[in-house]
Amino acid sequence: MSPPEAPLLEVEDLCVSYATGFGVLRALHGVSFRLMPGEALGLAGESGSGKSTVALALLGLLGPEAAVSARRLRFGGRDLLSRSPEEKRRLRGRAMAIVFQDPFTALNPSIPVGRQVAEPMVFHRGLAESEALAAAIGLLHQVGIRRPEVVARSYPHQLSGGMQQRALIATALAAEPELLILDEPTTALDVTIEAQILDLLESLRRSRRLSILFISHNLGVIHRLCESVCILYAGEVCETGPTKTVFRDPAHPYTRGLLASLPRLAVGDRKRLSPIPGTLPDLEDPPPGCLFHPRCPYGELRCRREAPLFSSPGPQRSVRCWRVGEIGGVSWEEAVGGARPLADEAGGPAAKASPPLVVVRDLRKRYRLGGFWDALRWEKPAGRKFPRPSWAPRFLHALDGVSLAIAPGEVLGLVGESGCGKTTLGRTILRLIDPDDGAIVVDGREIGSAPEREIRPVRRLAQIVFQNPDSSLNPRKTVGEIIARPLERFGLASGAQARRRVGELLEMVRLAPSYASRYPHQLSGGEKQRVGIARALATSPRFLVCDEAVSALDVSVQAAVLNLLEDLRRELGLAFLFITHDLSVVAHLAHRVLVMYRGGICEEGAIAQVLRPPFHPYTEALLSAVPRIDRGRSRIRLREEGAAAEFDGRGCRFQDRCPRILGKVCRTVTPPLLEPAPGHRIHCHHRLETLAALPSPVDAAPPGAIP
Amino acid sequence: MPAGPPEPRPRRRLPGNLVTGAAIVLAVALAALLGPWVAPFPYDEFHIRDRLKAPDAVYWFGTDEYGRDVFSRVLAGSRISLFMGVAATAVSLVCGVALGLAAGFFRGRIDEWLMRLMDLLMSFPPVILGLLILAVTPPSLWKTVLAVGIVYIPAIVRVTRSVTLELVQEEFILAARARGESAGYILFREILPNAWPPIIVEASLRVTFAILLGAALSFLGMGAQPPSSDWGLMISEARSYLDQAWWMAVFPGLVMCLTVVGINLLGDGLREWLDPRLRHGGA
Amino acid sequence: MILYTLRRLALIVLLLWVMSVLLFAITQVLPGNVARMILGQFATADAIEAVETRLGLKDPLVVQYGRWFSHILRGDFGQSLIMERPIGPVLAEALGRSAVLAALSFVLVASVGILLGVIAAVRKNRPVDHAVSVFSYLGISVPEFFWGIAFILVFARWLGWLPSGGYSPMGEGFGNWFARLIGPALTLTFTLIAHVSRLTRSSMLETLRSRYVLAARAKGLPERVILFRHALRNALLPTITVLAIDVGWLFGGIVVVETVFAFPGLGRLVAFAIERRDLPLIQATLLVITAIYCLANLAADLLYAALNPRIRYARRTS
Repeated sequence: MSPPEAPLLEVEDLCVSYATGFGVLRALHGVSFRLMPGEALGLAGESGSGKSTVALALLGLLGPEAAVSARRLRFGGRDLLSRSPEEKRRLRGRAMAIVFQDPFTALNPSIPVGRQVAEPMVFHRGLAESEALAAAIGLLHQVGIRRPEVVARSYPHQLSGGMQQRALIATALAAEPELLILDEPTTALDVTIEAQILDLLESLRRSRRLSILFISHNLGVIHRLCESVCILYAGEVCETGPTKTVFRDPAHPYTRGLLASLPRLAVGDRKRLSPIPGTLPDLEDPPPGCLFHPRCPYGELRCRREAPLFSSPGPQRSVRCWRVGEIGGVSWEEAVGGARPLADEAGGPAAKASPPLVVVRDLRKRYRLGGFWDALRWEKPAGRKFPRPSWAPRFLHALDGVSLAIAPGEVLGLVGESGCGKTTLGRTILRLIDPDDGAIVVDGREIGSAPEREIRPVRRLAQIVFQNPDSSLNPRKTVGEIIARPLERFGLASGAQARRRVGELLEMVRLAPSYASRYPHQLSGGEKQRVGIARALATSPRFLVCDEAVSALDVSVQAAVLNLLEDLRRELGLAFLFITHDLSVVAHLAHRVLVMYRGGICEEGAIAQVLRPPFHPYTEALLSAVPRIDRGRSRIRLREEGAAAEFDGRGCRFQDRCPRILGKVCRTVTPPLLEPAPGHRIHCHHRLETLAALPSPVDAAPPGAIP
Repeated sequence: MPAGPPEPRPRRRLPGNLVTGAAIVLAVALAALLGPWVAPFPYDEFHIRDRLKAPDAVYWFGTDEYGRDVFSRVLAGSRISLFMGVAATAVSLVCGVALGLAAGFFRGRIDEWLMRLMDLLMSFPPVILGLLILAVTPPSLWKTVLAVGIVYIPAIVRVTRSVTLELVQEEFILAARARGESAGYILFREILPNAWPPIIVEASLRVTFAILLGAALSFLGMGAQPPSSDWGLMISEARSYLDQAWWMAVFPGLVMCLTVVGINLLGDGLREWLDPRLRHGGA
Repeated sequence: MILYTLRRLALIVLLLWVMSVLLFAITQVLPGNVARMILGQFATADAIEAVETRLGLKDPLVVQYGRWFSHILRGDFGQSLIMERPIGPVLAEALGRSAVLAALSFVLVASVGILLGVIAAVRKNRPVDHAVSVFSYLGISVPEFFWGIAFILVFARWLGWLPSGGYSPMGEGFGNWFARLIGPALTLTFTLIAHVSRLTRSSMLETLRSRYVLAARAKGLPERVILFRHALRNALLPTITVLAIDVGWLFGGIVVVETVFAFPGLGRLVAFAIERRDLPLIQATLLVITAIYCLANLAADLLYAALNPRIRYARRTS
């Protein structure tokens, strides 16, 4: 390697601002980084940090309302800012290409995929349409699509999310760009699909010597793919450096806070998370001095007065903080007030004596696919001249005989990929969906088939917290009205008493009582989620269903809500059904875990049992797919194809995608129940010894964030 | 992070078309209310000597074939037109919102049958449906209002139903169901307050359609009857005198256009003001 | 796709049948004694009795309906009470004239409306856009009958360029025929062009804001490719649905416009029938209009499916 290699991309002091009605919104301010040829740089930050704006600014795709300036913006040694729109257009797609977050919206719904992949070759490389189409099929093959000829003729809606994202990557590669920008390319995908896409990107990068600018909020993904990382906060760079060093030894307080907020996928001592206090500053009216100082536990007077300059705590690193040299020895946890270990109650929450609070037996729910006409088929029976009609509807078995039990004060985690039926299960237990069959017993009362009138007392005891903070609160009601309604509804309090109780509830979720007069649109995402929790707690329930309750939140906010839930559980003795796709969150919070696949349970057990072998092969695949910042990768990958077909009830429900499939027995015989330890159940044809011998992708104890 | 400028904090500035439209509508409404006191002549007073006079200082808009003052008649007509628009819209609003809520909330059979019925209603062109309803009984203003109201029920049902279908999916509705709230509470306290904006916008559009349809029916002789000063009827009567007295047709027509433009501006302004996505898009 | 079309056709037949029942029922409710209408005010009771028996008005309603409907199935719409002529030929003639008028208007609406909408969207907030927007405001705010009268005033009375109405068969010279067609057609078109262009503009703007158009820009495609290949096709989908509804408007408008221009087409026939309470004529004309409207909707749905792969392929994917 010749030492003085010129960088492919140089960004110095990039600023983007928007004129708003009342002033100027500073979306990006003084962003600088450089990308060497063949390097992968991760751009990390929470929502509102401006990371996507960087990508659009580089491509020249920000609208005319954005004011863009930079001291230096060079690509391949040539200035980008001074180019004409036409020159920029020629550069886009040819020299730098981008893959967007949500593959479905980024593909044109009315053009076959092959043509969309071929377009850059037609317009940048001057290929004829037919040649380009042939080349596109080749590209689709290269990005790991099995039947590229078929896929090329398909329309986007006919492909699964992972296939769509592969097609988009193929499109980006079509004109052989030097720089590939990936804007949250795996955020919309399931974790097993995400792992495959990351594998693909890694191999493409090696085979094509691509330079990659990888934008993500997910530090684990960045750790997996990028040599260096650049952390953005509120439109400014706060730290850049080699990924491994930055994550092992973060220098900027914000980086430290982010890492301390991250729940780890590990067995063993469960530490309370240390979230970052406060919220993002108002970018129309940024605070003086360091943008992070209002939230920084290390701050001093100077931080409030002067914006910090970059300094370098190590090779290739630069950090925008006045106190880099001084705070090295003080960990984030110490700085914000110490991380108490989660005091584990003696004997766990499920004290053996108490009977379970919630019992579900053999719950079933199926949905008919399509309408009346879709079930009508004309088939020609053998030996007959004319086809005959038959009416055979197909069903999606959202719940296919699910049983579970939750003890008072216990957190039962429910994990699985999207579409596995976990949300249906949570809602059916609360009778928001009527089951087809099966029993639901809450606090000794059978509600599986009871009429609404008889469920009412249970509705007070069992409540739900939803995923989406924007949709879970009625925008036309104040926070006070929202929280007071359950009190009224169940006749628990009214008038001044209700107002006092609302205040108490707000305090319980760590919000000031003055929030009662606000409307939802005046709250941040985390605050809305807290209000949703307060509403659920208003009736003093004993059981909460949390349906992806922290998934839509940024890491630092998510950590605070997780801490809150844990506190509430301990203070109020609440039992939880905690539904999530995020295994790290479950590992952090849950006592026991159910792993669900296509409407049925593959494995269940205490958290320590499920995270360690013996595994169900699906659990193993899920665990090894989680991208993490604390260790290297393991390679169990699921096939993506076949995921769309319906399970017909024969054999094992995981047969289509199982990496450890045994053969015919898996396709024809329902797998037996293995019980390696009391309470730990696995449904699999493998012998227990085989499963126990699988390598574990999870560490026994988490390595400290700062060794 | 979506592309484009980050969402600024919501600030409500009244759009220009809203203000302009409101001003025009207010003026027409005032004319309708104060018409009888402001008008220089009673709308049905004959001035046989001044038949078919061109506009001058006395008869600002000229006179018709009986020497009636066109200006006074136009003023009086505003009352009929506004009443037509508002009352007919009220009819379709009351029926449409109720049916739309029911269809969107209960879905299933009710939805199926209601929507088929609406399809049936919609498979008649509006003017013809109105004519048909009016043909059943002798024409009168009330029946015109009812006919026009019925014609536009399907439009309101569709809007209400689709916004209800969307809202039913929202998590705050699920939260209400998790409390075991009654269907009535969910419909009227949780859904309806959020469903108003699109319904209001649609209704404002329907007011103009109702005015135009009512005038068209009168024009065809199936709405208001002589000696009423309905604008549509005035234009219809003016047709025989186009050669001698163009003002008889032109002035009622122009005022009607102004009114409808005003209401449309108001409706568009409302839409921009109520729809947060358009508020920043400038579309 | 064929199955779908057949299914829809079956539904249309069903709808028309329901409509025939409804029309029959409604006309039964109409006040006025048919026989008295035919014979006039001073007919004797005996004469009325005789006519009622001859027309079968004394039979039970179901029998009357059955008779009427079976005749219609054979293409026999009966006898007009007022004109005292078979309805079939009258209807066919009027329908032919109106069809030419409607087709001309529809082509104008679809082409000019979409074109204006696209231009306005692409040149958003430029003078062209403002001009189109003012134009469409006028279009949707001014009733057809006023446009018609203004048209006659300006072009027939003041300028004297065109005749003020009526109809002249094509056999008597293309010029005459066209001169009498252009007025009604333009009047009919104006409102709908406004409607279509407004809608096309807003759906085009929405499409241009979409993620896939941004993705197409990021590919560095030329602007014209982005507009025509990526945006237009998707933007047209809502317009197509509305065009089908506009066909209904067109037939409503025809009633008014044909009255204004004294154009002897289907619209005039409907207005005439309703005004004079000519029951068989009302039934026949409305049934025909409903059929046309349903077919237009079917055509729009098929076109929609053809342009939208999500519908076209809905049944093939699992």
